Amino acid sequence: MADIAATGSAVAKRRRRRIIVNKRVAPYVFLAPFIILFVVFLIVPLLYAFDLSVYKSTLVGGTRFVWFDNYKRAFTDANFWSGIVLLIKFSLMQIPVMLGLSLLFALILDSGTVYAKSFFRVSFFIPYAVPAVIATLLWGYMYGPAYGPFAQLATAIGWPKPDFFNDQTILPSIANIATWEYMGYNMIIYYAALQAIPTDLEEASLMDGAGAFTYALRIKLPMIVPTIIVTIIFSIIGSLQLFSEPYLLINLARNVINSHFTPNLYAYTLAFTGQQYNYSAAISFVLGGVVAVISYVFMLFANRGVSR
Amino acid sequence: MPKDKSILGAGLDRRRFLQVAGASLAAPALATLPAGVARADDVVNLTFWAWTPGTQDVVNMFEKKYPNIKVNLQNVGQGAPHYVKLRDAIKAGTGLPDVAQMEFNSIPSFKALKALADMGTSGANDVKDKFVDWTWKAASDGDKVYGIPWDSGPMGLLYRKDVFDDNKLTVPETWDEFADAALQLAKNKPGTFLTDFGAADAGWIAAVLWQKGWRPFHVDGTNIHIQLNDPIAKEWAGYWQKLIDAKAVDTAPVWTTEWFAGLDSGKYASWITAAWGPTLMTSSMKASVGKWRAAPMPQYKKGDKIDSNWGGSNFSAFTTSPHLKEATLFATFMGGDPDAGRFWNTKEFLFPVQKALIEDKELMGTKYDFYGGQAVNEVFAAAENQVDVGFEFAPFQDYVNTQIQDELAASIGGKGTLADAFDRVQDTVVSYANDQGYTVV
Amino acid sequence: MSIVGKSTASAGFVRTRWLLTGVLGLYFIYTFMPLVYVITASTKTNPDLFTSFGLWFSEDFHLWQNLYDLFTIQKGIFSQWLWNTFYYALVSGLGSAVFATLAGYAFAKYDFIGKNFLFALVLGAVMIPQTALVIPLFLLLSKFGLLNTPWAVILPSLVFPPGVFLMRAYIDEAISNEIIDAGRVDGAGELHIFSSLAFRLLMPGFTTVFILAFVASWNNYFLPLVVLNSSEHFPVTVGLAQWYASAVSGSGGSLLFTVVMAGALVSILPVIVAFLIMQRFWQGGLQAGGVKA
Repeated sequence: MADIAATGSAVAKRRRRRIIVNKRVAPYVFLAPFIILFVVFLIVPLLYAFDLSVYKSTLVGGTRFVWFDNYKRAFTDANFWSGIVLLIKFSLMQIPVMLGLSLLFALILDSGTVYAKSFFRVSFFIPYAVPAVIATLLWGYMYGPAYGPFAQLATAIGWPKPDFFNDQTILPSIANIATWEYMGYNMIIYYAALQAIPTDLEEASLMDGAGAFTYALRIKLPMIVPTIIVTIIFSIIGSLQLFSEPYLLINLARNVINSHFTPNLYAYTLAFTGQQYNYSAAISFVLGGVVAVISYVFMLFANRGVSR
Repeated sequence: MPKDKSILGAGLDRRRFLQVAGASLAAPALATLPAGVARADDVVNLTFWAWTPGTQDVVNMFEKKYPNIKVNLQNVGQGAPHYVKLRDAIKAGTGLPDVAQMEFNSIPSFKALKALADMGTSGANDVKDKFVDWTWKAASDGDKVYGIPWDSGPMGLLYRKDVFDDNKLTVPETWDEFADAALQLAKNKPGTFLTDFGAADAGWIAAVLWQKGWRPFHVDGTNIHIQLNDPIAKEWAGYWQKLIDAKAVDTAPVWTTEWFAGLDSGKYASWITAAWGPTLMTSSMKASVGKWRAAPMPQYKKGDKIDSNWGGSNFSAFTTSPHLKEATLFATFMGGDPDAGRFWNTKEFLFPVQKALIEDKELMGTKYDFYGGQAVNEVFAAAENQVDVGFEFAPFQDYVNTQIQDELAASIGGKGTLADAFDRVQDTVVSYANDQGYTVV
Repeated sequence: MSIVGKSTASAGFVRTRWLLTGVLGLYFIYTFMPLVYVITASTKTNPDLFTSFGLWFSEDFHLWQNLYDLFTIQKGIFSQWLWNTFYYALVSGLGSAVFATLAGYAFAKYDFIGKNFLFALVLGAVMIPQTALVIPLFLLLSKFGLLNTPWAVILPSLVFPPGVFLMRAYIDEAISNEIIDAGRVDGAGELHIFSSLAFRLLMPGFTTVFILAFVASWNNYFLPLVVLNSSEHFPVTVGLAQWYASAVSGSGGSLLFTVVMAGALVSILPVIVAFLIMQRFWQGGLQAGGVKA
């Protein structure tokens, strides 16, 4: 019996050894599926885009290699830089408002002092479930100058009809849509971070005599600063790439939204209407570079602020 | 006997190959179909991209007549998105359909891309005489046929009889009369406009300028003549600028739900549009049924009879199609078959391009309820014969349209006058043409 | 669970509670305004859409007719679109969650050559503008003959870098090294450790990534727009946008704005319902990330 048992366990050990993955190899095995897909569907297209950007195809004359001409052109292209300036204005307007609200609501929900906490938490997240196409369609209707509900309400009260699509109001109008879509998403992130703070801190600070408000501001908030920084960076990256909302609203607001309103929209128009695929690729890379620079600069400031 | 390891691959040895080859050589006698078209037991599959509603019904008609050709109809977008997809496929080198809807204004662009097949080599010229002259010429180059005409859009004036009557307006016959009527209406009834000026409606702008004699493009090989900001355009811009500044016309975006509602409610008393305008109106406007009428487009000189065209499509085949003969057969049927033509007009209200239909007094005399019983086709039939030929679109018309939209809409938004906008468009289009390798003359 | 503030039931405290609840309530109204709009618009007839007040119902209750039209127009293509959207989102969501979990595990629990470089690469990927990728992706997919197939939408969606960050952070917190070392001492292979010991602990984080990837795929518009040509492959976003364009230019015949609105309503309901059901799981996922295992 003992022999059989011994043999059995020896066989089992051999069997297990055969499928043991070496500890040094394991991380690569785990990473492989993701990295392969990442390379095929992200890196390869990127390399191809770069390849596109150093050539030039024209209706007359075919394709030729042009070194970095497209990039030189991008650096002096007023259409591109006006879009960047516009997005910087947009970001300064939209990000503080959206993240401010997210933070405020997250703190309120986390403090446990409101009624129907779960109800609010879930309902604020719902806009994230609405595709941008539909959200923009809906807000586009709501903004309607003649038949939208805001215009109807204004007429009923006797106020002049609000114009959501002029020079001054177009950025806030788009910012509103973006805020509506993503406030809940950021709020949940902050909420989770706040909830993760161990409760013994609360008891300790209460014993020290801190009120709820002070506790929230002085103790909890600083503890989630890393999370806040991450959301700011992702928001910056997102808003510098603004595309869907102006693309979907353009027919309602042609007087203020033009085909190069944002750099991404410009890249799209270049490729899909002007057939300037090469220049479009260069524009996308320069945009990516601008995004990287701005994100990096922000991270530098943020880290310096944190370490103080 | 050992299997013959021929280059034909594993499953087919020499004996069987000879059998099959012999069989196919023995059957050319089937003469029921035009030469070169697939035999009865070979089903040919064609892909056809089009957005016009009702197309499936006419495709069904074709499939019934030619049961060995199956057509897969796809709507890949209406207008601009459709052309984006075509260009994407051209860039990728694959994925083009066999046949696609191709508006008159896009033919030069796709010719420049060398994508359009010459259907003349497959017998398209046989149907040439069926079509109104200018439509055939606009889609072909001598014997080279790049499109079989489908419908056209001769311009006219659609107006609300009730609004005109209420405000004691007479139907304007000249543009001066039109301007007077606009100012009068704005004075008597603020909030109601004679029409909505679509600064971003590049197709409309081209059509109305066409009537005035605007000929912005001429291509000769790799030379291109570009004159978008000539005195004709500037005068036209000045005319509309005056009306806009006096608030005699609205400047709200066109082709939106609110704009349709405005036409339906009488906020806009008229629409300068093409023969297919009525199509869109009947399907989306319920309140104004019976209140619309059609009249000839206003003229610059009293008594003139100059008209222009907006839109209108063709059936075009692509060079990548492996079945050019079948594609040509399909295109000539869809555009030239009398029953198909009748369907397009009676069911989809498209304006016909077949001479036989335009000369059909009964068809042209159909009374439409939407127009209070008016035989609207007669107005447009007359216009069709007055279309001033010789208008050339650019080989990069989509780019031009985007520039026109950007700049003219910007003027409305406050950046200078419409006339200034034309100058800006001229500059960007010239530099684009140079950039694309053309010699601008 | 916060205990701050509960120390007193004074009037001041109750007043604060109501005030804060009111603030949230106001934002709730703002959040639901467009949703109220889509609900009321779905119940109206097309002319009523412009004559009645936008945020309330009209006298004619036309919802059933609109829904009927929605599901019967163009031979019921809308149901096909709904199915496509669900199918793409499910496959992309599951696939990308699995790959992200594996990758996150590798980054969190191992040290290896190229670790920091690869992680920085994945981080950098987030900054790439989508327009830069779509055209080359389109050309790449056409070379493989995958254009106009579900794979054209699913395959690129399997790459979900945010999922990798999330899982790395989550695994750092949720799975202690002791468990893994114990498994190694027992002689178990790395894969075995992962599948039997770790995966159960990973479930909340995995669910979170799955939901985020699912929603991202459900909402995707630009990629499917470019790589799909046949309407039978469209997801709901592309299909509705096309119907909207048709309705606007009036050439849709039976395509009315009210039907587009009904379509919008039907297409956002499933995800909202799914959220409500799954919220128990992913809330836990995000929380557990902060709680020591």
